[in-house]
Amino acid sequence: MTDAPILEMLNISKAFGGVQALREVSFSCAKGKVHALVGENGAGKSTLIKILAGAYQADSGEIVFKGRRYAGFSAREAMAAGIGIIYQELNLAPLMTVAENIFLGREPRNRFGVIDARRMAKDSAELLERLGVRLSPSARIGDLSVASQQMAEIAKALSQNADLIVMDEPSAILAGQELDRLFTTIRSLVAEGVTIVYISHRLNEIFEIADDVTVLKDGRVAGAQPIGEVTRARLIQMMVGRPFEEVFPRGARPRGAPALTARNVTTERLPHPASLTLYEGEILGLAGMVGAGRTEVARALFGADGLRSGEILLKGARIRPRSPKEAVEAGLAMAPEDRKSEGLFLDQSIRSNITLASLDKVTRFGVIQRDKETATIERARRELSIAMASPELEAQYLSGGNQQKVVLAKWLETSPSVIIFDEPTRGVDVGAKFEIYALMRELAERGVAILMISSDLIEILGMSDRILVMHERKIVAELTPDEASEERIIELATTGAQAEMNAQSGRA
Amino acid sequence: MSAILSPGAGHSRFSVPPALRRHGSLIVVYGLILVVAIYASLSSPNFLTERNIFNVLRTAAFLGTVAIGQTFVIISGGIDLSVGSIIKLAALISAIVMNGEPENIGLAVAATLAMGALIGLINGLLITKLRIQPFIVTLGAYSILRGLAYTVATRPVGRAAPGFLRLYDLKIGPAPLLAIFLLALVLIGTFVLRRTAFGRYIYAIGGAEQVARLSGIRVDLIKIGVYVLCGALAALTGLLYLARAGIGDPVTGEGAELQAITAVILGGTSLFGGEGGLIGTLGGVLLLGLTNNVLVILNVSSWYQELIQGLVIVGAVALYKQKRR
Repeated sequence: MTDAPILEMLNISKAFGGVQALREVSFSCAKGKVHALVGENGAGKSTLIKILAGAYQADSGEIVFKGRRYAGFSAREAMAAGIGIIYQELNLAPLMTVAENIFLGREPRNRFGVIDARRMAKDSAELLERLGVRLSPSARIGDLSVASQQMAEIAKALSQNADLIVMDEPSAILAGQELDRLFTTIRSLVAEGVTIVYISHRLNEIFEIADDVTVLKDGRVAGAQPIGEVTRARLIQMMVGRPFEEVFPRGARPRGAPALTARNVTTERLPHPASLTLYEGEILGLAGMVGAGRTEVARALFGADGLRSGEILLKGARIRPRSPKEAVEAGLAMAPEDRKSEGLFLDQSIRSNITLASLDKVTRFGVIQRDKETATIERARRELSIAMASPELEAQYLSGGNQQKVVLAKWLETSPSVIIFDEPTRGVDVGAKFEIYALMRELAERGVAILMISSDLIEILGMSDRILVMHERKIVAELTPDEASEERIIELATTGAQAEMNAQSGRA
Repeated sequence: MSAILSPGAGHSRFSVPPALRRHGSLIVVYGLILVVAIYASLSSPNFLTERNIFNVLRTAAFLGTVAIGQTFVIISGGIDLSVGSIIKLAALISAIVMNGEPENIGLAVAATLAMGALIGLINGLLITKLRIQPFIVTLGAYSILRGLAYTVATRPVGRAAPGFLRLYDLKIGPAPLLAIFLLALVLIGTFVLRRTAFGRYIYAIGGAEQVARLSGIRVDLIKIGVYVLCGALAALTGLLYLARAGIGDPVTGEGAELQAITAVILGGTSLFGGEGGLIGTLGGVLLLGLTNNVLVILNVSSWYQELIQGLVIVGAVALYKQKRR
């Protein structure tokens, strides 16, 4: 293990049409290290990685990989040279097995030209062993957790003899223990001399796993340092040019009357009775591991999964939403976790996205009144400062932050008294995060009750007026911001109620 | 992150202006109509005659009416394979009920449309309440209704009332009534799709059903409505056939489901749902009608007609895909 760079990208520039995506970016990774690449969306990370993957060609600059100079290369050459890329949206065939996926397109053949399934299984088992994961090569990808699928992707990259693996926001789809396991794997790979480029928005992870960090901002390098020489505040400042203290706006409003009360609610996916009260003007954080039942609670409240038992009171009146339609009419709104498949119509115009849940307000006898609709959209654009060229543009062309604002705009038009945010800032860049936090706080100040589900502990701690922790589909604890700490939440979320006694030791 | 476009990456996709991208298929389909029409008028003196054009436009109403319903269904993310059989059944039932008596016209029309709507309702209920795929439900309905039609009659039955029969030849000015009727249906349908909440919801459901559900849209209700509409329009097509043939002929409507789907796709509506429209479908209908007409005029064998139709659809869709990249 030496500090000699295995990869140097020198003075890379790339423009798309008139927009300069990268300007003279130089990026250098030492062999056998974890190098974090951070920056807001649009900062150029994706473009840089795609150039490395051979998906784009740089306009100028060169790449030096393992001592060889390339002016640019194709995806095939990149792979052959030993560069593996694990995209956030995994590239696996769900109906095929782990082994078949690992060797897809490069299946070992026996001397009759028939696929050698035994060797494939054996080689796969070895690769998985090397990663330290217990995963059967004959398991079907579609039956595995996302974390296991990610491991299969890593195994696939290793099977192609990759000595540099780029992970594009691997943590966005993982939580808690899964992430720990990924880190263990990364550490063992690094120990073998593999180099990892780790892209993430989450600073905690970067400080935990990375050796070096490069920050991109607006297509330029804003800084590149060993992680030990940079503070969290400095990193944020490099990314957005704004000090850390402004991140989480605190509320001044005392909490009001109960807005939403759930008593012993169960659904098919939420077997244990769950109870909670959400007050007007408060942000209630719901923490826990992925799969702990947080989304299921949200779906129960929103009528997306039918109630088996229990009752829901909205401002003291009993409601029993059997469908999202009834929940919306009662004054609930939900910004779902998976924005792309549940929150937004990517192929539809921003216009129809924004007014979709409140069309009755701009229609008369079922006919949409264009001018009224346009006025609504203009107001939303102004109030939420949605950056869009035209409301007729399809929502897929917006950045993650602006997409989330469009989802929010859709719901604000229904004048909800309760809003459920499921992972409100997932896939959203730091700059837009601030705006979404500020908006959430402003809504709370106006008396809206907010339930915020988040896997980002910093977000939970920073935003919540009260925190509920879930473990194995049960709400196991309620904490005030003073009682809560990252350690305590993690302990509660991973071990459940018993740990509450000795959790005190976790606070220091 | 790879899927969230950075402004830089986004720009490359903007290089085709969204307006052109959206209307690319319209340009292709109406352009093809023009090309075929010019070619035909140059190669045969029989094409550009008042009588022939009149016929082409009038004939378009048959495929056009059923294709409008199919467009609604396909935009909503579904498909309706039962329309051909509905047309067949509608032609038979209406002929039997009307039985040549002018005073039965109202009853026959109402009963036929109601039957079409009812079949659509059953299709819609099976699709939404039992969660069976539209392809399977309507494939089953196609077969059941076809069988049912042949138990009603295996040879022509019933009779259209004389007044009803005249509709086929009626003109308004120089234009055939049926062509104007189709144009009116297209305009009304376009208004419904583009300017009403019902239409907006259809696009939303076809674009992302789960998002629509979580946005508080009554997804099942809208979908059922779409199938009811499609069934009623298919039944209306059956009535048009009665007005042409004067009798209930059990061979009516053969293959109409595939013709309608072809026209819809030629018009640029995506089979995945969520996009498309009736102006395009009208173009698809006219292009198919025109191609057939030209091939007949040029005395091309009907085998070649099907072959050429196949080439046209694959070729046109290949062109749309190019526009999109």
